[in-house]
Amino acid sequence: MITVTGVGVAMPGVESAAELAAASGPQGTVDPKEILGKKGLRYKDRATQLGLCAALRTVTDAGLHADGELTVEGTRVAVLVSTNLGNVDTVCRVAKTISEEGTYGVSPMDTPNASSNITASEIAIKYGFKGPNLTLCNGPTSGLDAVRWATALLRADRADQVVVVGVEPDNEIVRSLVGGPVADGAAGLVLERAESARERGSKVRAVIGAHTRSSDLATGVGELAETETEKPAAFFAPGTAADELIPGPPRHDLAAAWGELSGALGIVQCAAAVGALESGTDGPVWLVAGSDSDDGVATLVLHHPSRADVELVAH
Amino acid sequence: MRLPITGVGAVASIGRDADEVFSSLCAGRSGLGPMRGFDHQHYNGRQLFEVDNRPEGADRTLRATGFLLDAVGQAAADAGLGEDLSGIPVLVGTGLRELRSAELWWRDGADFSADQLHFGTALRERFGTSDSLTISNACSASLYTLALGADMLTMGEADTVIVAGVDAITESMHGLADRVQPNPPESLRTLDVNRRGTILGDGAAAVVLRREDLQWPGGRLWGRLRAVGMTCDAKHPTAPDQEQVAEAMRQAHRHAGTSPGDMDLVLLHGTGTPLNDLVEISAYGEVFGEDAGVPLVTGIKPMTGHTSGSAGLLSLVVTLQAMATGKVPPLVNLDEPIEEAAGVRLVRGQEAKHEASLAQVHGFGFGGINAVAIVEGA
Repeated sequence: MITVTGVGVAMPGVESAAELAAASGPQGTVDPKEILGKKGLRYKDRATQLGLCAALRTVTDAGLHADGELTVEGTRVAVLVSTNLGNVDTVCRVAKTISEEGTYGVSPMDTPNASSNITASEIAIKYGFKGPNLTLCNGPTSGLDAVRWATALLRADRADQVVVVGVEPDNEIVRSLVGGPVADGAAGLVLERAESARERGSKVRAVIGAHTRSSDLATGVGELAETETEKPAAFFAPGTAADELIPGPPRHDLAAAWGELSGALGIVQCAAAVGALESGTDGPVWLVAGSDSDDGVATLVLHHPSRADVELVAH
Repeated sequence: MRLPITGVGAVASIGRDADEVFSSLCAGRSGLGPMRGFDHQHYNGRQLFEVDNRPEGADRTLRATGFLLDAVGQAAADAGLGEDLSGIPVLVGTGLRELRSAELWWRDGADFSADQLHFGTALRERFGTSDSLTISNACSASLYTLALGADMLTMGEADTVIVAGVDAITESMHGLADRVQPNPPESLRTLDVNRRGTILGDGAAAVVLRREDLQWPGGRLWGRLRAVGMTCDAKHPTAPDQEQVAEAMRQAHRHAGTSPGDMDLVLLHGTGTPLNDLVEISAYGEVFGEDAGVPLVTGIKPMTGHTSGSAGLLSLVVTLQAMATGKVPPLVNLDEPIEEAAGVRLVRGQEAKHEASLAQVHGFGFGGINAVAIVEGA
């Protein structure tokens, strides 16, 4: 059994899973200087700054890091970041500068940001996480895919904890690419096996249920329903396409509220679902990302943390 | 773990399929040439290892996607899978995704959309895939996806997985390197005392991996994947660190149940940058100890250039070919090895005749992300 033992949110005007579940949309902007302090931020791109904000809240919430020290074995902590737009601004800006001024016009300080895995590597550096370090740039389903691959790393015994962060920055370039405002925020989760959570005395915030990845929505939801027989208490999905397939429970469309979430969507959905589970939602929460016009559809179920207790009793 | 590898594919400046790449490597043929896609007047370094597929002269979008589809198509055909990959996960490791297309979109107004940044869209269109993954893990990306693919098979989540790597050079990555190299390298010289840095290349590679407990499915048995180790330095965004580079090698051996002295062949990451080569060979020395002189050691980048995210898997494909043919490509441009490589059996000058049954393949990247694979011959 894989559990969620930490959640962190750095969305405009929202600092926690509970606030996220209750919020209706962005208020103001996230100020990384307030959250992280000014030091060391100067040459980090916006995605990395936002990712570090969410990572700080996530690892603190999970108790992986306390009083400036790791509380777990750093070589057994993996980092998984999901972002599609993260460094697109740096790459496009540098290419344009070269055509206007030659390479003398570009700053060597942009070099790390030209590599799309910069946010994941900066999170590893900040906390000393030396396990597998991955950056998913997998389109609309990327965030839910990240949760799936985090569980795979745990099941394959590649790590004891996985820090999963979804982040998308807003700027002129990515706005133009996706045709509208981007959420300019981040969210994070810590995933670990139930036994590990128990040993550390961590509070389980949710239990990871089944997932699917399929070519279309109807197939994905159908396959999910075969494994997850308990009726969902709520679901998160972009648009109205899943409404007929998951009749009854209330739907939450985070992209409609927050702007383009792209690679962060699935992880922000998970954070909001944890917030909902903590504030009265007592059944499973289903999450959907991607649509029939995308390259795939991903689904995931989060269960109420009480399921971990049931499992313990059964053992 | 002994996962059968039943198909391979490759694309690089020196060849448009795996056979052509390998014969070029054995012949000592380099793909370095005058830069074709970028405006020479902006650069000090005007040579790259490009795939020559821009007959019209000007650069165009979606070249990385094209290389990837070619390599995946080759590997699938080699394994007898055909063009319909609808039930097969395809995991792609890349450093630069379709960021070159994004550059052309922003700078020149070329047609490009957000759903083309990752490769799932094109894979679905050509092969009908529904479960694809684009991992952007710098220069160790394709060995990272190799580990994920292997884990899927060992956990019984799939019977067959295609693992691939791809990159097409971006102007931003080449330009940022050029910015700090007023005197750019004239060639890529892995482990040479006079190495002056790396030079980027276009490339793609793909392999078909199968579960080991299934009936022999057809296709060719190229070899078997024994393990992939993955670590992260957690030290510096661009400079490598010996501790976790060495640990990636140790981890791979622990998972494979092998010892360094069992290795017959090692394919270096070998970027030709002063610090990277030094750290890599020092970590090799630390892990291999008194067995440092046991395997033959070589690398392909002096002839393919640094093909970023595809580099590790391209080295792995070459390793399988070397084990199948008994021919090991040389490290060209290596005139005087650094002293840290003393006692290492470097393949120099021309191809070596060598029977190898176990080999180790390296991939290290920006962000301090390290991956090491161990494969055995058929």
